[in-house]
Amino acid sequence: MAILEINDISSGYGEVQILWGATLALEPGKITSLVGANGAGKTTMLRTVMGLVKPKGGTVTFEGKNVSQLSAHAKAEMGLVLVPEGRQLFSEMTVEENLEMGAAPKRAKARFDANFKRVYEIFPRLQERRRQKARTLSGGEQQMLAVARGIMAEPKVLMIDELSLGLAPVLVLDLFHTLQKLKSEGLTLLLVEQNVQMALAVSDYGYVLAHGKVDLHGPSRKLINDTHIRSAYLGM
Amino acid sequence: MDILAFLTDGLLIGFVYGIAAMGLTLIWGVMNVINLSHGSIIALGMFALYFLFVSLGINPYIGVVIVAVLGLLLGMIIYAVAIHRVINAPHLSTLLATFAVNMIIIGLGTTAFSTSPRNVDFSLGSATVGPVTLLGTRVVAALASVLITAALYFFLYRTTLGKYVRAVTDNRAAAELMGIPSARVLALSFGLGTMLAAVAGGLIATFFPFTILSGGTYELKSFVICVLGGVGNPLGALFGGLILGTFEGIIPYFLPTSWVPVIEFILFVVILLVRPTGLLGAKK
Repeated sequence: MAILEINDISSGYGEVQILWGATLALEPGKITSLVGANGAGKTTMLRTVMGLVKPKGGTVTFEGKNVSQLSAHAKAEMGLVLVPEGRQLFSEMTVEENLEMGAAPKRAKARFDANFKRVYEIFPRLQERRRQKARTLSGGEQQMLAVARGIMAEPKVLMIDELSLGLAPVLVLDLFHTLQKLKSEGLTLLLVEQNVQMALAVSDYGYVLAHGKVDLHGPSRKLINDTHIRSAYLGM
Repeated sequence: MDILAFLTDGLLIGFVYGIAAMGLTLIWGVMNVINLSHGSIIALGMFALYFLFVSLGINPYIGVVIVAVLGLLLGMIIYAVAIHRVINAPHLSTLLATFAVNMIIIGLGTTAFSTSPRNVDFSLGSATVGPVTLLGTRVVAALASVLITAALYFFLYRTTLGKYVRAVTDNRAAAELMGIPSARVLALSFGLGTMLAAVAGGLIATFFPFTILSGGTYELKSFVICVLGGVGNPLGALFGGLILGTFEGIIPYFLPTSWVPVIEFILFVVILLVRPTGLLGAKK
């Protein structure tokens, strides 16, 4: 059974409709990727799933419950957590405070000490910088902090918007390895990426979004060899 | 009277102005709302303290604590009723919403209390140090202001709830995504802002007479102070209050008192022209 189901979702901003009935499902304990060109509606999808944008139609079901009308903080409280595009850190707060803010949900508070230790183990660099304000970090460190803050929320499903954006490929690989480790510990992940090749390489299942709809989906290994995808998204 | 006496008087009052301005700047900093009901809430703080003292015989300094609680609750109610529905609308909507609250308070207040002046007849005596006479009520008000500032900083930097306020200030959408109930945090912040205004009113009532319309003057002073101290910066507000208080103390020594607002607002305009982020610079 899917842990998160997005069923026939339509959404947009004001008069502009971006999503036109997109459907996808996340299997628990797997990495799913959602790829597509710039402007395909990937970020809108995540914002709609979280409730920052109210869906015009369709449903979002999390652990069997219809959460379409819940606010973002209520979803985070349930374990549905988004690491937003552009990091969106609390820039005037320290690294440590950012992590503390990640642990706002009640479920996260109970696991605070363990998670705190864990994120510093995964990202030792953050521990070195723990007293620095978030805005003074390098781009890579900021992305680490954004992911770490998401982990602090004790998510059941962690959705990450454009993890690779603006980062050196070596660093991206490092972060992807970290995510695979988290997956092996039972976390469900949704990676939303413009970097199609890398996203399909690390994920188990992939969805291709085009013009606000799911164009194609299937096991990532199959998608990466699909001739249509190779020509349309991978430039091969 | 010696200039030192003028200066001391002004400085002591400046602390209280600082608290009033802190309320205004906190609300602006957290939610980008200019609270035009600030002055009338200061006036309500004065009246609340007055009635606690005159009708119930409560010591004014215990009264201030009660005023603080009432101010916090009133602010949260105002937020829920008038502000939340326009929080994401353009500035004009929030200006009008808070202005409407202001008119309602002043209208009701005028009906209930008339506009004849009241005063809290309370004295802690005075102490003379050289040429300076220190009025007890003013010294206590200044000390209370320092304490309140310290408490506010402790709250914002050392408590989880206070950090939520800073997180929402910093990035409301991200705070919401992290599971922080941002609407409740905004209500609390608005409550804290009105609490500071009401407390400042209560403290001012212990040494100046007032009417329901008195708040307007202090609201304008709060605006000047916010610009002096850097908008959105509570500690800056305290320093801005001290600067303004100093001016108010010293100007009457050289010029008729009616020059005070003239010079204050010239200062206001000059700072806006030269350093729009305030003398101490806002963080944003």
